[in-house]
Amino acid sequence: MHLFGYIRPQKPELRVREYEAYRAVYCSICRVLGRHYGIFSRLILSYDSTFYALLLLALQKKYVPCFAGGRCAANPLKKCMYCTNAQPSLKQAAALSILLSVQKLQDDRRDRGRWPRCRAFFLLPFLHGAHKKAAADFPWMEQAVCTCMRQQAEAEAEPDSTLDDCAQPTAEMLSAILAHEGGTDTEPLYLRVLQETGFYLGRWVYLMDAADDVEKDAADGDFNWFVRHYQVTKDSSPEKLTEVHTFANAAMNLTMSRLCAAFNLLDLNSFASVLRNIIELGLPNMQKQLLFKKETK
Amino acid sequence: MSDPYQVLGVSPSATDEEVKAAYHKLAKKYHPDNYANSPLADLASEKMKEINESYDTIVNQRKQQAQQGPFTGNPYQGSYYGYAGTQSQSSSGFSDVRSYIRGGRLADAEQILDGVPAENRNAEWYFLKGTVLYNRGQLEQASNYIGHACQMDPGNGEYRAAMSQINGQYRGYYGGYNPSVQNNRSDMDQACNCCGNLVCADACCECFGGNLIPCIGCR
Repeated sequence: MHLFGYIRPQKPELRVREYEAYRAVYCSICRVLGRHYGIFSRLILSYDSTFYALLLLALQKKYVPCFAGGRCAANPLKKCMYCTNAQPSLKQAAALSILLSVQKLQDDRRDRGRWPRCRAFFLLPFLHGAHKKAAADFPWMEQAVCTCMRQQAEAEAEPDSTLDDCAQPTAEMLSAILAHEGGTDTEPLYLRVLQETGFYLGRWVYLMDAADDVEKDAADGDFNWFVRHYQVTKDSSPEKLTEVHTFANAAMNLTMSRLCAAFNLLDLNSFASVLRNIIELGLPNMQKQLLFKKETK
Repeated sequence: MSDPYQVLGVSPSATDEEVKAAYHKLAKKYHPDNYANSPLADLASEKMKEINESYDTIVNQRKQQAQQGPFTGNPYQGSYYGYAGTQSQSSSGFSDVRSYIRGGRLADAEQILDGVPAENRNAEWYFLKGTVLYNRGQLEQASNYIGHACQMDPGNGEYRAAMSQINGQYRGYYGGYNPSVQNNRSDMDQACNCCGNLVCADACCECFGGNLIPCIGCR
C-alpha cells in the first residue's frame, strides 16, 4: 500500500534533456530532505516523490524551471544539477515521502518478515524528528496518510473484503493529496480531474505493491489480498504465480485505462512530457518487469 | 476562442498532413470510448468539441486561402459528438436510476438499487449496480456485476458492449501492459543477440581451426 519506487519513467524513451531535468528534480528533493528534515531523511529518497514534485510543478501555470550545477551530497565526486526555483513544491514532495516512509516502517514493525522488522527498528528513531516536522508543516497530508492507514487496517481485518475494498484507502489517500492542489483559485472541474487522477494512481500503486509482494507475503504469512484469494503458499507452483500475476496485470490495466483518461485531461505545463512518459510508458513497463520478467531472471 | 493551432499542438506553419495527424491523435485520446461511464466524460466531451472546432477552423481558413486543398473536412464530424446520445433507449424498469447515473448522482442511484429486494434483482439491476461501481472506481466489483448481467441476459447489446469495453481495458488496449504483444525493443534485442551469437560461434570455431565467418583480409 506504499509508494515505493513504482512510479518512474521509462528511461530509454526520455530525451536527454528530459532525463536531466528529471534527475535534477530528484537530486533537488534529496537536498531539500537533507536541509529541512535532517541528513538521515535522505535515506528515504524515492522516485515516487519525484513524480509528485514534477506534478506539482507542472500544475503551476507560469512556472519555468531553472537549473544550476552542483555536487552530489552523498558522493562529492559526482556532479549533478539542481532545480533552483522550486523550493515550496520540493519541500512538499519531501514531506510526503517522509510521512509515507514512516508509516511504511511502522507497518513493517508489525509485519512478520524478519528483515523489514529489523530495518524498521533501526531506521525509525532516526526519522522521528523528521516525521514530527513534516507533519507540522503539512498537517492535511499527515491526516490523509493516517486516515489511509486506519482504513487499510480495517479493510485487511475484514475476512471477506474485496480487492476494491483493499485498494480503496490508498486510492482515496492519493486522491485527497492531489485534490489539495485544486483548492484555491481553480475551478471545480479541474479539482475533479485531479481527484480522479490521484484515485486511479493510488489504486494502481496498491495493486502493483500487492502483486509484487505475493511471494514474500505468502512466505511470511502477512496479509495480501492475492495470497488470500488464490490461496498462495510458499510451495505454490510457478503456474499458480503466473495465474495470480496475469489476474493482477488485468486489474492494473483496467485501472490504467481510467488513469490515462483522467491524466489526459490535466492541464500540464513544464515537465509535461516527462510526466506523460511516466504514466504512459513507465507504469506499464513496471507491470511488465515485475510481473512477467521476474521468473525468467 | 483560443488559438486553434495551440489547441492541436502544431505550429501555424505545419503542413496539412501534420495538422491532420495531430488532430487524429488528439481525437483518439479524447474519444468517448475512453470515457464511457467516467465521471469526467463531460470534460472530455468539451475538450473534444474544442479540438473539432479548432480543426474545422484551420481547415476552413486554409481552404479560403488556397481555394483548393487536399482537406476533405472533418472526418469525425458528427460521429464524435456521441457523448450525450449513447444511452440506449431500452425499456427500463430503472429509468430513475439511469437518470441519476447520467446526472452524476451516484449515491441516490445506489440507494434506490440497494432498496430493491433480492428476488427482484434482474439483469438490468446488476448492470446498473455495476455501472455505479465503475463510476466510483470499484472496478473489479463493477466487472463482476456487469459480467453477471451479461450471463442473465446474454442477448442484451447494452450489457455486452459494456462488458467488451471492460475486457478491452483488462487486455490493456486503453493503457497498461499486454503481455501477448511483443514490443519492438525485445525483437531488436534478439536480432542483436543473433549477431553476437554468430561472432561467438566464429571465435569458437577459429579456436579449433575452423572458420564460420571467413575474414575477407585472410583470403
